[in-house]
Amino acid sequence: MDDSQKYLDLLSEPRKVGYVWWVYLLLYAVAIPWYWPEGYVGPLVLGFPLWVAVTLGTVFLLASWTAWVIHRYWQQAGEDD
Amino acid sequence: MGEGLVFGPGALMVVGLYLVSMIGVGWIARKKRQSDSMADFYLAGRSLGLAVLFLTLYATQYSGNTLFGYTGKTYRIGFEWTASVVFMFSVIVGYMLFAPRLVLLARKEGFITPGDYIRYRFASPALTLLSTVLMIYALCNYTLAQLKAMGAAVEGITDGAVPGAYGIIALAVIMVIYETLGGMRSVAWTDVIQGVVLLLGFAILAFLIPIQLGGGLENVVAKLGAMDPPKVQAPSFEGATKWISYVFLLGCGAAIYPQAIQRLYSSRSVKVLKRSLAIMAFMPLTTTLVALICGLTAAVVLPDLSKAESDQVLARLCALVMSESVLGYWLVVVVFAAALAALMSTADSALLSMSSMLTKDIYLPYFRPNATEAELTKFGKISSWVIVVLLVLVAIGTEATLVRLLELKFEVLIQVVPCFFMGLYWKRLTAGTALLGMLCGLAVALGLTLAGNPLVWGFHAGVIGLFLNAAVCAVGTLLKPVPTD
Repeated sequence: MDDSQKYLDLLSEPRKVGYVWWVYLLLYAVAIPWYWPEGYVGPLVLGFPLWVAVTLGTVFLLASWTAWVIHRYWQQAGEDD
Repeated sequence: MGEGLVFGPGALMVVGLYLVSMIGVGWIARKKRQSDSMADFYLAGRSLGLAVLFLTLYATQYSGNTLFGYTGKTYRIGFEWTASVVFMFSVIVGYMLFAPRLVLLARKEGFITPGDYIRYRFASPALTLLSTVLMIYALCNYTLAQLKAMGAAVEGITDGAVPGAYGIIALAVIMVIYETLGGMRSVAWTDVIQGVVLLLGFAILAFLIPIQLGGGLENVVAKLGAMDPPKVQAPSFEGATKWISYVFLLGCGAAIYPQAIQRLYSSRSVKVLKRSLAIMAFMPLTTTLVALICGLTAAVVLPDLSKAESDQVLARLCALVMSESVLGYWLVVVVFAAALAALMSTADSALLSMSSMLTKDIYLPYFRPNATEAELTKFGKISSWVIVVLLVLVAIGTEATLVRLLELKFEVLIQVVPCFFMGLYWKRLTAGTALLGMLCGLAVALGLTLAGNPLVWGFHAGVIGLFLNAAVCAVGTLLKPVPTD
């Protein structure tokens, strides 16, 4: 059986949606603190140094994005079964 | 588990009842079995609904290492360990790169183990065997860490009256009894209890530790900044590359854990699985982040601990809370139950996975090709007991810190990643190329580690091995002629 037959029931999958991964790349680029000056702390936001607050906020955005991508782009025929 | 965390008879009885209830759940799960088939024993008959699937995914993913190892690591390096929140989230992104296709195939072809997929996709006994051996090795390592932590926990709450070795034996026996009674059904149902206790434990920790002991998070961070500034400062560029490495190491590695893959196989439907994974994406913010905050509070409240002592900081914090009030005492009992839940839920899942792989991927093809399903299930149960005995013996006789154990198992496990991430999408990726890539990746990962270079420019040796492994697979695939039909 060739691949097109094997995955016929898969109506949509996140891996094949290009812009989904560009958004991930952008969010990861913000979440990973490579761009702050070494030794930076900044003001405290909800008790966290600014650079940590930015990372945690971005992880929340990443999780929200993931939940939406799973809902929108992982579609399989008869997935209730 | 730590100095001063000693439980009275009432608390020990509550913990004892909690443990015995696990065997009760195992017994009920046994009564609910539909058949003696491997799919029923190892995948609960592919029947897990949303609540059970989510809680078993949660309790399995968040191990004793999250509670003890991560608080200890935060104690040592401070906010730089916020990396753990990012990489634990990344596991869900890892699933999205292969789960839709794997789940579809698993349902059509009746896969039980990850090895079933590799056998189906590549038709190569050598690649299937090597992948299975690597996965079993990683799981042995993982289970070993949980067993050792169990011993330390029991020794701590009984003030040394029960030696760690006896604690390991007792908890391992309870675990293997309920696991062999009902297989995945037992493990998943006990995970429900363990997952709820774990969530409750983290919720208590989130309020108790920073507020009661530290006077609030702002106060903790301000004090830490004054005491040890690097612990609140942004990391260097090389430190940030280490975050990227962790995202690859954990995001890829934890997603292809055999017990995680078998949970993908066990869901009642794709809809249930999708919802469970969507909720799981948020769990690092309620779990890993709490471990981080506890580690920071410990750095302020209990400074100057040695590296080995720092893996026990959570227990030491709990001991402080216990000594302050009766309410604190009982809240710590719940936290301790959560710690046991984290350890046992991870270890039992890994144990069940190892048993299934030994049975389906080694015993069946190499020793008893004509065995019946009932015989295989029976062999699987016996193998669980044998694995537990061997691991308990090793756990009693060795020493190592928790986080180092975690890193070493991922170095090896992630070399199987291209078989899933690439194999499901690139039909021209052959078994020979995948095997060559895996061997090259292993050689680099183990070679660098053994040569004393576990990190190169902030990247873990296993991740560098994975890059080479993936490159070999990519080049080999590109060089293979496109079929004319």
